[in-house]
Amino acid sequence: MKNPWEQWFRQRKWKPFPFQKATWAAHLAGESGLIHAPTGLGKTYAVWGGPVLEWLAENPARGDWSKTPEPLRVLWLTPLRALANDTAESLRAPLADLQMPWSVELRTGDTSSSVRQRQRVRFPTALITTPESLSLLLTHADTREKFATLRCVIVDEWHELLGSKRGVQTELCLARLRRWLPALRVWGLSATLGNLAQAAEVLIGGNARLIPADVKKRFMLKTLLPRNVGRFPWAGHVGLNLLPAVIRQIEKRKTTLLFTNTRSQTEIWFQALLTARPDWADDIALHHGSIGREVREVVEHRLRAGTIRCVVCTASLDLGVDFSPVEQVIQVGGPKGIARMLQRAGRSGHQPGAVSRIVCVPAHALEMVEFSAVRDAIDLGDMEAREPLVNPLDVLVQHLVTLALGGGFLRAEALEEIRSTHAYRSLSDGDWEWVLDFITRGGESLRAYPQFHRVQREGDFFSVEQPLIARFHRMSIGTITSDASMVVKLMKGGYLGTIEEGFIASLRGGDGFSFAGRRLEFVRSREMTAFVRPAKKAVRRVPQWLGGAMPLSTQLARAVRRKLGEAKSGNFVSAEMRAVQPVLKIQAAWSVIPAPDELLIEGTATREGLHYFVYPFAGRLAHEGLATLTAHRLGRMSPRTFSLTMNDYGFALSTPQPLALDAAGWRALLSPERLVEDLLECLNSTELARRKFREIARIAGLIFQGYPGAGKTTRQLQASSGLFFDVFAKYDPSNRLLDQARREVIEQQLEVRRLRDAMESAQRMTPVLRETERLTPLAFPLWAMWMQGQVSTEKWADRIQRMTEQLDAAANAK
Amino acid sequence: MNAAIRWGGEDLVLMPERALWWPRERTLFIADPHFGKASTFRSAGIPVPELAHTDDLARLDDILRRTDAQRLVVLGDFFHAKIGRTAATLEALEAWRVRQRELEITLVLGNHDRHAGPPPAEWDFACVAGAHGLAPFVCVHEPRECAEGFVLSGHIHPSYQLGEAIGRGLGGPCFHFGARGATLPAFGTFTGTHRMKPEPGDRIFIIGPDAVVEVSTVARTRRPVRGRGRRLA
Repeated sequence: MKNPWEQWFRQRKWKPFPFQKATWAAHLAGESGLIHAPTGLGKTYAVWGGPVLEWLAENPARGDWSKTPEPLRVLWLTPLRALANDTAESLRAPLADLQMPWSVELRTGDTSSSVRQRQRVRFPTALITTPESLSLLLTHADTREKFATLRCVIVDEWHELLGSKRGVQTELCLARLRRWLPALRVWGLSATLGNLAQAAEVLIGGNARLIPADVKKRFMLKTLLPRNVGRFPWAGHVGLNLLPAVIRQIEKRKTTLLFTNTRSQTEIWFQALLTARPDWADDIALHHGSIGREVREVVEHRLRAGTIRCVVCTASLDLGVDFSPVEQVIQVGGPKGIARMLQRAGRSGHQPGAVSRIVCVPAHALEMVEFSAVRDAIDLGDMEAREPLVNPLDVLVQHLVTLALGGGFLRAEALEEIRSTHAYRSLSDGDWEWVLDFITRGGESLRAYPQFHRVQREGDFFSVEQPLIARFHRMSIGTITSDASMVVKLMKGGYLGTIEEGFIASLRGGDGFSFAGRRLEFVRSREMTAFVRPAKKAVRRVPQWLGGAMPLSTQLARAVRRKLGEAKSGNFVSAEMRAVQPVLKIQAAWSVIPAPDELLIEGTATREGLHYFVYPFAGRLAHEGLATLTAHRLGRMSPRTFSLTMNDYGFALSTPQPLALDAAGWRALLSPERLVEDLLECLNSTELARRKFREIARIAGLIFQGYPGAGKTTRQLQASSGLFFDVFAKYDPSNRLLDQARREVIEQQLEVRRLRDAMESAQRMTPVLRETERLTPLAFPLWAMWMQGQVSTEKWADRIQRMTEQLDAAANAK
Repeated sequence: MNAAIRWGGEDLVLMPERALWWPRERTLFIADPHFGKASTFRSAGIPVPELAHTDDLARLDDILRRTDAQRLVVLGDFFHAKIGRTAATLEALEAWRVRQRELEITLVLGNHDRHAGPPPAEWDFACVAGAHGLAPFVCVHEPRECAEGFVLSGHIHPSYQLGEAIGRGLGGPCFHFGARGATLPAFGTFTGTHRMKPEPGDRIFIIGPDAVVEVSTVARTRRPVRGRGRRLA
């Protein structure tokens, strides 16, 4: 006879997938592992089955089942609070049908303090929580005892945590739990990644099982092809010329998710849809990370219920919430990454056997190449990797204070535990000693103040004794940080969401802007709140979030180059490539289409000056670094000024005087030698590091975000991270958190690895130099962006229009 | 290098040490020193070196000596917080007061002073709540309009930013002069700042490492700057 769990599957007319059965067997054998699949299909019950089956095996006689819920057995970690409710529902469904005495509860930042108190007296059988909340639990000395019955930790959406400081925090928490419970099993769930073996190793250690959820899922990618392909594309469009086609597409299906790449674009698209279809006012909604939780929850609820026609959203809906009624996904703008595109497509057709449909809307002609390239890359299974972080000292500072508070730690034991993680396995003795010194004595500069103690030290034992410090630490736990954001509130009351401070700083009273799908007028800001009222007049500005634009991934860039290579040899195999053919033909006629092993450099004179366009296809961030570096190196040869522009395909140097450079000259300019030294020399790296320090200062517990009800004491402790940076730089220059900030600027902000890769491949590639009479289709978007920085909007729009007409005329004359 | 301004019918000197000097009355104005802020942080387990305050006191000594001022007016927030009034902080300040025993000191009480408490009586500070008249000026903590005179205030910790591009901006604390009201930069080094958005006619003097420089504050253009805002198509 089948066990009750499989019977439950059968009652629902489901047949367990082979990967689900494999996971259950591995779990029962005491193994840990990582399940990976492009979409969420069946992954939840694959990992949930193990613990349930195990308990059923241990408690075969239903008559002996107690009435009170079983003690804690499973910890379910999720990166997003928004996912927790859905997860709880999925986990509870079989338990209720089987009448198992198990309880499933949430514990996140949204959980009330009374529930949190009750849970600490007696935890539920399965606790769904976030890395931050788990870390917070570790600050209580009795957690070890309360966790004694824990058997398994499940980490959902591990690919979202990997490569971030929250992932490092998860590693540290797991190391602690493993120390307490050596037999603990850890199971991870991940989307497809380019470095799955490493992802498993970071989460689990050496002996991880990798289980592919090889459910064949049909996937359809279709691109809406504009009737008139703009031959001279620029990034200023957001694809709105395709609005009528998009509306027809939305009409065809019951429920649609419309993804854009930035929060600003969601606002623009939402307003455009509303203007075109006012009758949809109650039928479409907006969802992005800056919108208040309550509004988001209403939208999510309506999606689940299938009572909404279209939700315009961004990465905030990328993650695995199961909105089964979603019938199609529309992607506006370039896909930027292969894994991301696949994940977004997977938001639709969530039921087994259903087809995932994604309709792509190019914002400009060249994005059609990207869409065609992404389809090829998905077929090839060429996915992006997420690199795990190594040795972030800010996270270690926070975690050690957590350990000191949660019952204290012994030096040697703690070091062994920390070094058992992937992130800190190469932690140097020097870094370790510095962190201990920093949390006990405040570092070098505080030697003279013996009264300072964050963590007390008695021989080799470290603990936190002062209640005030305990309180502040618990308040400041967490590694998720964003740029300082301001709360947006209506004058009449009512919370709308948060916007980055920089945008608010650019507004004056009376300025209109569009946010959370509403037209608003800025009134004033007070402390960290911006007060607004509904706008009477038309609104033209949309907040631009800093985190908005992701660069093109290395894998996708490679796929784009392959597509261009095909086009160069006359192969236009997909509908997208055929549609973009006229554009690429002009590129070939006026210059060349670069082959994968060619580095194309174009020089063009316009009325405004000389422009040099270089196309390494390395993504916008790396191009920013390359452009800055190139200009700096040229300036060193002979002083001159440049203006720099960059996009995902290349960068432009604009200058009044010509550059006399041959192929060898360009190659030398792009040499990876002295890369870091030159970068530090030419950037205001201090200012960049100072900004980067915001996140570090918060994680290391130097600054408090301050939250409602935190009281006067925290107000007196408000200081900006920049201030800390300045004070440390002046009075404690050996502070290793400063080094970390500099390192993060180089490695993350400037993507130095990609930069180096791009420069190294530039050495191998054949430089192809072309003086072009006119701006080519590849050059035009860079030129248009450069123009934007030179003149007023009106003049700019005119100039762009005139240039487009001239180029079109020249192209037609051919 | 100092900057000079004629304002309220008086000649005033703006010093890069974050102080305003009124030569005719031999009076030095400072605002918001926030003494004891570092120890307030330390008591909460946040390591901030005291040296910031030590440097502030040394800087104050230096400008008092150079100007040979008779009178010091502090425009509020002398102390940061009650828990920051540690023995070490009080000792250092007392020693400074002894060094400057001839100096006449007026403190216009600020919001932090109300919570932190005034300086000890034996330090002989004249403490004023509200406004302190020093014709043609009126000294207050929080900026406000006043019919009786030209208002000198603190509280805001004004700063000004030139240029916005990441990593290329330039800015810092500043003096802000309107038609009838002026705001001084915070004297304390370990203090935050508030970015000013001047109105037409306002004058901004930005403080660099060794100089005060007036910046021209043309009404900002409405042209969208990349990375900040974009017009709807």
